[in-house]
Amino acid sequence: MVRALLSFGVILLAASISCAQGSAPTDQAEQVKLLLERIQQLERRVTDLEARQAPASAMAISTAKENPVPSQNPQQQNPPPAAQTHEHEVREQAATVQQMEQHYPSLQIRGFGDVDFAATDQKGTNSGFNLGQLDLHLASALSRKVTYFAEMTFNAQPTGYTVEVERNIIRYDYNDYFKISFGRYHTPIGYWNTAFHHGAWLQTTISRPDMVRIGGTFIPVHFVGFLAEGNIPSGGAGLSYNVGVGNGRGEIISRPGDAGDNNNNRAWVANIYSRPRALYGLQMGASVYRDKINLMGRDFREWITGAHLVWTKETPEFLAEFVNVNHRQVLTDIATNSQAFYVQLGYRLPWFERTVKPYYRFEYTHTPLSEQVFTNQDLVGSILGARYDISNYAAFKAEYRYTKREIANPWVNGFFLQTAFTF
Amino acid sequence: MNATKKRVAVVLLGLTFILQSFGASSIAQTARSSADIAVVVHPETPVSDLSLAEVRQVLLGERQYWNSKLPVVLLIRAPVARERDVVLRVIYQMTEAQFKQYWVAKIFRAEAASPPKIVYSNDMQYELISGIPGAIGFMDARNIRPGLKVLRVDGHLPGDKDYPLH
Repeated sequence: MVRALLSFGVILLAASISCAQGSAPTDQAEQVKLLLERIQQLERRVTDLEARQAPASAMAISTAKENPVPSQNPQQQNPPPAAQTHEHEVREQAATVQQMEQHYPSLQIRGFGDVDFAATDQKGTNSGFNLGQLDLHLASALSRKVTYFAEMTFNAQPTGYTVEVERNIIRYDYNDYFKISFGRYHTPIGYWNTAFHHGAWLQTTISRPDMVRIGGTFIPVHFVGFLAEGNIPSGGAGLSYNVGVGNGRGEIISRPGDAGDNNNNRAWVANIYSRPRALYGLQMGASVYRDKINLMGRDFREWITGAHLVWTKETPEFLAEFVNVNHRQVLTDIATNSQAFYVQLGYRLPWFERTVKPYYRFEYTHTPLSEQVFTNQDLVGSILGARYDISNYAAFKAEYRYTKREIANPWVNGFFLQTAFTF
Repeated sequence: MNATKKRVAVVLLGLTFILQSFGASSIAQTARSSADIAVVVHPETPVSDLSLAEVRQVLLGERQYWNSKLPVVLLIRAPVARERDVVLRVIYQMTEAQFKQYWVAKIFRAEAASPPKIVYSNDMQYELISGIPGAIGFMDARNIRPGLKVLRVDGHLPGDKDYPLH
């Protein structure tokens, strides 16, 4: 009995040891991998240090040969090795930190570009290629709390190129709750206008929705003035705001009055949005814009209200935005309301290394016949397309569009291609 | 003689039990601590406990200041490092390509002046975090050295059962 118990114990002990050894390989393999990585890092570091020290020591040797110094006590010449090493480490650490610390001003330039092809069955139009916008973006930290941003576009025209200053902003950050800036912005109405700007590479689709089209009039795309923005202490609700005062629409209502306001009335805008912490990827918000427009001697009060709901992840991507534009003529008190909305859905496919994203967008714009500030912008249309990311910084897009402008016009089929990139 | 054998057998059984339980727990512990990625900050940073959502807010550039005098300095390991993989997978929930695009877009929207600084080794990360006030980085829990402050994430430290970054 005792012998059997003893044998059982020995077997169990052997089994436990072998079991422990048997479960080790995966862990050991990981350890070995990590150690190898570490060794490689250290080897690289030693090589770098040797490379850095080589010219210095060579110079020291040559200097020593040219100017021989009287021999001294070796103990006086060389400080203790431990102290020398420590001093060296401290110096090295300080150098690394200095190298990586922000230097002012620190200008960064990034460019965006696109080349497009369009073919439609609309009468009077030609198919063919066209150069999209060449877009340059500049960002420069001027100090820990002051930053400058600018965006310029070069636009192909029949007679040459036009250059446009799209954004020109200087911002002071007090903290996360209050940042104030002055300059020319994309008006913070809704989502798209401040999320994608001019670089076509940033957006999934080839074009912007018609309601926020660059050069369009439905909403004032640009805004000149000042803007306060920041987070609102709101716990899990993740609230943020933008509040701004500026010139509002200019005499050409698609432009913001860069050179000065055309009346003594300032426009103001307020935008509040939430990014709930528990639902990472979700953003929802509401915007209000108020202005007084002077158009050929007639004054109009403009109220723009908007709301958006977006899911910014790509599996799926969901963007939806609605805007109502109210114009009231001051003299007659006649009011009109125009509405526009779009819904866009995309999905990054799990295959082809997640490089392909098909998408669909429906958009709708309605302007009443009595609208006096801008011309009829009625539109209903669908876009079906796919985006293929050629690399991390370049994409190819193909789109089919089926759209109708105004009631009297026929439906138009269109096929569009774009290669968009950043550099 | 029999009594001696009995004693030896009992001791052997006890030893076996102890070895097994110790072995299992140490293996589990090793596996867990080796997998955990610590959130480390400059020692003077005025936080010690953040929720995972708050860490995400910092890494997304939505929180850019620890307080009005101390800006956040984001550090992230270069591609292929395990720390970066964990940060992208658990916190950003993005692929490498999405991460790069996110920061290009962030700067383009004038929401940030620069992307996170890239660090190439733990040594470099240690030097930067201990040298730059407001710096935050991610480090394998086994490589943590004195002079860094390890943050609790959702109330847990690396090695804890429910620690989320691994």
